Amino acid sequence: MSLLAYAPPRSGDFTVALLVRLRHAAIGLLVPLTLVLVWALASARGWLPEQVLPAPSYVWQNLRDMAASGELAQHAGISAIRVAVGFAVGAGLGLLLGIAIGLSRPVEDYVRPLFTAVAQVPTIGWIPLLMLFLGIGETLKIVVIAKAAFFPMVVNTAAGIQNIPLSYREVAAVLRLTRWQSLRRLVLPGALPSIFTGVRYSLTKAWTALVAVELLASAEGLGYLLVWSRQMFWLDTMLAAMLVIGLVGYVMDAMLAAAEARLQAWRIDA
Amino acid sequence: MANGELGLQGIAKTFRVDGRLLPALDGIDLQVTPGEFITIVGASGCGKSTLLRIIAGLETDHAGAAVHDGKTIRGPSLARGLVFQEPRLFPWLTVEANVALGLENAGLSRDAKRAAVSEHIALVGLTGFENAYPRQLSGGMAQRAAIARGLVNRPGVLLLDEPFGALDAFTRTHLQEELQGIVAREGITAVLVTHDVDEAVYLGDRVVVMAPRPGRITRIVAVDEPRPRSRTAAALLHKREAVLAALDSGGRGRPEPRRLDAPDEPLRQPAAAIALQGAA
Repeated sequence: MSLLAYAPPRSGDFTVALLVRLRHAAIGLLVPLTLVLVWALASARGWLPEQVLPAPSYVWQNLRDMAASGELAQHAGISAIRVAVGFAVGAGLGLLLGIAIGLSRPVEDYVRPLFTAVAQVPTIGWIPLLMLFLGIGETLKIVVIAKAAFFPMVVNTAAGIQNIPLSYREVAAVLRLTRWQSLRRLVLPGALPSIFTGVRYSLTKAWTALVAVELLASAEGLGYLLVWSRQMFWLDTMLAAMLVIGLVGYVMDAMLAAAEARLQAWRIDA
Repeated sequence: MANGELGLQGIAKTFRVDGRLLPALDGIDLQVTPGEFITIVGASGCGKSTLLRIIAGLETDHAGAAVHDGKTIRGPSLARGLVFQEPRLFPWLTVEANVALGLENAGLSRDAKRAAVSEHIALVGLTGFENAYPRQLSGGMAQRAAIARGLVNRPGVLLLDEPFGALDAFTRTHLQEELQGIVAREGITAVLVTHDVDEAVYLGDRVVVMAPRPGRITRIVAVDEPRPRSRTAAALLHKREAVLAALDSGGRGRPEPRRLDAPDEPLRQPAAAIALQGAA
């Protein structure tokens, strides 16, 4: 029985924590920086023709030009809106279906077999069929992205709810918690780690689906930029687009991780 | 204060294991008067926890009748608090919020709830830890919080399933004393299941001794020692020997290997008759 757990962090601890974080960031940057170095070396030594592998400086220059002209912001903005809307719809519906499956045995029995079979078909496999129904407008893109975000959300939400220990459910029974009370106090908080795994998978899938659908049917967006620059053989533009896609995805994942840490303060050891 | 009268008549329970029927409890009869502290002691597998779960309403598929204040038990009720062997606090809620779970359906005002929660946190000696998460508590502190959660709704009956089994000896002794005081002060009925004979004798007004295969009551030992009790009182030591003898005669699985000469004879009367005799 110690009060140590409540000691507020002292300034010394803060400095230590900062150093630990910096060290962590440095380690994470090590591999990407090495790759850039190898890339720079390869183009400087002329290991590959310049048309195949442009120098990092070209790509950087191109990135700056596209940023300055507003072209990059326009493509990235279009893509971001598509992902945001598609992800919100897909993950939102996925959360609801996941909760329904997690809470209700009959719902699971009715839905699970079809769901599992449909989930086996890759997102890109759906695009031709969906094109027939929806054409190649915005609706197609949103639906494809939503579909990609939907499945991981359902699976992880349902699993999170079903994995809540019986011992906790007995507590809820003994305390006579209503369905709503136990959803709020037990089911959702208990399933939250798994739900967050679902959200992060969903976002990654949504982002990948965006690129796939823009490759096939779009005249703007980062995916389009990728295809168009490849067809034009502007490899510096293509590499710049790839960098931006990777970077945006990374930032979104980091934001989710931060939100997760905030919502689950109880898991952090004091 | 709610009443806390319990009646068990002919309770029998069978589990199905690998297609075979396994009798867990058979012919359990027990009357518990309001305010009484009953301890149930027996070796592992004698069905004592199952019996407690039946009283709690977590097991409803059984033969015989379990009655609380004249009403047949058909499921959990807020009139019966249950403390499990593990604290089972929700790890994402603070101590305060965990205790408050017991009042979700109490129909109290916000202020009344807050007052009841802080009163019961004080009762188990956790004042100052209201905003701590279960991870930050020791095993003993977590179990205190669980006891507060079981008591906060002021149930007429408090059921405890080996609540101190996982704690170190020092903490266990301390919490036994506090539990004794709390139950006396609140004037509630308590049923505590344990495999610790010393704990059973120290806490119980009556000690119910059970034997396994099938789980049944072999003997009820009345402990008419005034409270607060001293652990070393001669009367308690005497009763302890009686309980140990009953455990021995009940068959396998005596929990503790010590034994002196046991003066009391095993009773062969129906349990209800023993209950009426009271402090014999």
